[in-house]
Amino acid sequence: MRWTPKDIDTFDKAREYIDTVLVPLVPVAFENGMKQSASMYDFITLLTAAIEHQFKGRIMLMPSLAYLSSVDIDKRMELVNDWKNEIGSFQNIYFITSDSEWKAREPEFAGTLIWMPSIPLEHFGEEQVRTMVGDQARQVFDLFKRKWNEA
Amino acid sequence: MSKHNVSRRQFLSYTLTGVGGFMAAGMLMPMVRFAVDPVLKADAGGDFIATNQKVSDLTTEPKRVDFTYEQTDAWYKSEETKVAWVYKDDNGKIVALSPVCKHLGCTVDWNTDKSNPNQFFCPCHYGRYTKDGVNVPGTPPVAPLDVYDYNEKDGMLYLGQVKPHKGA
Repeated sequence: MRWTPKDIDTFDKAREYIDTVLVPLVPVAFENGMKQSASMYDFITLLTAAIEHQFKGRIMLMPSLAYLSSVDIDKRMELVNDWKNEIGSFQNIYFITSDSEWKAREPEFAGTLIWMPSIPLEHFGEEQVRTMVGDQARQVFDLFKRKWNEA
Repeated sequence: MSKHNVSRRQFLSYTLTGVGGFMAAGMLMPMVRFAVDPVLKADAGGDFIATNQKVSDLTTEPKRVDFTYEQTDAWYKSEETKVAWVYKDDNGKIVALSPVCKHLGCTVDWNTDKSNPNQFFCPCHYGRYTKDGVNVPGTPPVAPLDVYDYNEKDGMLYLGQVKPHKGA
């Protein structure tokens, strides 16, 4: 499901089947690393779209949670925890990001952080981008399938 | 060299007829084109989208065929990738199934569930379909997989609109 009125209608009718929420975490920087943050955003957007496409009926893809890179990581962690608490009714909540700063805080996510290194897609043609993002997405597919099988 | 000399009168009338003819043709051609335009439109292109799949390479084993087309979402233009599961049935007829699960829209895979081989399998809620796309009773999906219209041109497979499955 995507965050659109049409998909929310479907969600309301089939709540018991959609037990997983995916929140993309995207950094925004203006001074240093503006281009890098844009590149990460581009990558995560395509990757999450591929994941949503595959698992439309079980995953709810949230709008990207954007934050300033300059904001202190503790404050950002608070923001993430707020989201986590609010979305609590879902069985699985996952955060997906390319921002390596989160990696250091992985224990606090308790297994709900998916970190994918960003690929600078701007150097590649459309066909190659599709293949590369598809390959990365497949890794995440397996992760979800495994998690669901455990439950 | 010809001995026959062209008179001034003859020369002028030939020239005028020629130039006049060209002008008339220049005016009439677009009109004729407009009139017959619908006839000239290519019909094979129509709503069918080319895939990279050779029809002769298709077997009885469903094969995943990806194809892309341009989609416009309000202002946002994007290349949309669509998928079809294509195979030839026992009579050699092509079957192109949509991979969109009729339960909640996940993408189904062929033959990935080990306990139920040779079926389409949805990883989200373990819905299953037999090879002809009909949903297996007792699994979440309530309808068979949709079917693509298809076309063959120069040995390549072209896919069109999705239609509801006939043999439900």
